Amino acid sequence: MTAVGDLAIETAGVGRRFGAVHALRDVTLSVPRGTVLGLLGHNGAGKSTLVNILATLCPPTSGTARVAGFDTVRQGRQVRRRIALTGQFAALDERISGRDNLLLVARLLGAGPRAARRHAAERLEMFDLTAAADRVVRTYSGGMRRRLDLAASTLGDPEVLFLDEPTTGLDPAARITTWRIVEHLAREGTTVVLSTQYLEEADRLADTICVLASGRIVATGPPAELKARVGGRVATARLPSAAAVTAVMRALLEQGLGPEYDPGRGVLAVPVAGPRDLANVARVLDVHVADAYELSVTSPTLDDVYLSLTQQPAAPPRAAVR
Amino acid sequence: MTAVGAPAGPARWHGAGLGTQLWVLTARVLRAYLLDPRLLVANMLGPLLMLTMFSQMLGSLARAPGFPAGVRYVDFLVPALLITSAMQQAFGSAVGLTLEMRDGIVARLRAMPLWPGSVLLARSLADLVRGGLQLLLILVLAALVFGFRPPGGPAGALAAGALALAVGCCLGWIFVALACWIRNAELVQSVAGLLTFPMIFASNAFVPVGGLPGWLRAVVRVNPATYGIEAARDLVLGVATPGGVAIALAVSAAVGITAAAVAVRGFQRRP
Ligand SMILES: Nc1ncnc2c1ncn2[C@@H]1O[C@H](COP(=O)(O)OP(=O)(O)OP(=O)(O)O)[C@@H](O)[C@H]1O
Ligand SMILES: [Mg+2]
Repeated sequence: MTAVGDLAIETAGVGRRFGAVHALRDVTLSVPRGTVLGLLGHNGAGKSTLVNILATLCPPTSGTARVAGFDTVRQGRQVRRRIALTGQFAALDERISGRDNLLLVARLLGAGPRAARRHAAERLEMFDLTAAADRVVRTYSGGMRRRLDLAASTLGDPEVLFLDEPTTGLDPAARITTWRIVEHLAREGTTVVLSTQYLEEADRLADTICVLASGRIVATGPPAELKARVGGRVATARLPSAAAVTAVMRALLEQGLGPEYDPGRGVLAVPVAGPRDLANVARVLDVHVADAYELSVTSPTLDDVYLSLTQQPAAPPRAAVR
Repeated sequence: MTAVGAPAGPARWHGAGLGTQLWVLTARVLRAYLLDPRLLVANMLGPLLMLTMFSQMLGSLARAPGFPAGVRYVDFLVPALLITSAMQQAFGSAVGLTLEMRDGIVARLRAMPLWPGSVLLARSLADLVRGGLQLLLILVLAALVFGFRPPGGPAGALAAGALALAVGCCLGWIFVALACWIRNAELVQSVAGLLTFPMIFASNAFVPVGGLPGWLRAVVRVNPATYGIEAARDLVLGVATPGGVAIALAVSAAVGITAAAVAVRGFQRRP
């Protein structure tokens, strides 16, 4: 089809400055067709900037990007024909109904009036908006807007779909539906670029995760690989007193586990690979700790990813802000 | 929420033609007015207020020296109001455009395969419809309540209205250009307001040019609105010449085309 063949996205040294701010530096990545790329990063990491550059909304100040085989700057129109974008902020006409928004987009994409009606009705059904379809968008809740925005982006079956934080602000049910829709689109062969602040989301949806920090790519790879680098789940026990610590530590080490104890907080942390490890931790604590204790299991969070990859705090501590 | 159903097959549309783009985008703006008529009512009220105030306050001007003999003030005022009202249609819609460019639907339209001018032109076309309605209202009310009796007859008044729409639509592109470059609704509002003031008042709209100090007369002469007002007034008074109308149209078309080109460039410019 095009020279790049099976690459939906290819960038070389893409950077973007806003005055003195380097929003993005030297981003080089390639995304095979039909795969899902997860862009993971905190506020200000450069996710939106990268998405906007790829969606032709903002030119890079250095480097080049090709999307669906076309240069985003010189062949913007060709790119725009093949993509759809759900930006971070819902891009809808607030003053008309949800259905009219979808009709507008479908018609502008080139659908005839009847095809537009059919596709709009189908998307409303798919995104559970039929009941509110004929209400003015201004009266929609935040989650409904996001759903409508996403629905509009799926009209016209884009080759590459950009979703900038598509589940921020959605309730859990709507979040899962959005995930299902992304999975469905990916199965149908759509290339999806999705930015998110949630490792869990990137883990579930993405074939490849790209971690951004301060405008740079700090890690790229399949979710499993990335998580392995970060470390797995950790069982955390808050012990009421230090009395049993020595015995507990010894017992855990005998089980082949690697416990760490923080005497300051009275917290014991044990990396666990699976349910068996967790059961062993619980058994050891039951045997050696007389008083009540708290036991919880934490998954690696985006903060852990950041800490392990960048060795710098991901966000300024609250105290410093105040 | 329901599970993902079987979609109706791949769409693979290839972008609407220019005609469809304009039609669909204009209809969207007009539909918003139908759904919230308060917007329309508020829009109509401004010029009616001006009509009331000026016709009552400045009516005695007709007896001032330098005022064209035998002309009633309301007949002098209405054509000017037609032009200034038509011009101000774009004012409000430019502020709306700025808001929509930030995080509204225009953000989406910019990532779609459209001719960038069509978003702007569609707004202008919608303004034209709204403006037509407003001018009709002004003419009817002026005739019924304020004794507007155009010497040029109803035909002259309607021709003045049509001319006002064309002139206003062209000059309104100045505001659209501001919106596309400034991209900050409050700033657009202030700058457009600053610009509107001299365009309306440093003109022959409310007082005859003859009575003005020399430096102001010079300003009036470079104000493109002046030519439109002059031609519209001649049409209403029944003394229009094809030359006057042609000059009015040519001046505003020149301003309009220049401003439109600037506007489209600004619209395409990425943040
Ligand atoms: N138009 C702009 N002008 C100036 N600076 C900008 C502009 N857009 C983005 N930036 C800066 O670029 C950096 C990256 O911003 P970006 O919006 O890409 O982050 P993000 O990862 O999407 O963050 P968030 O999670 O908050 O959406 C930030 O420091 C931001 O302040
Ligand atoms: Mg963002």
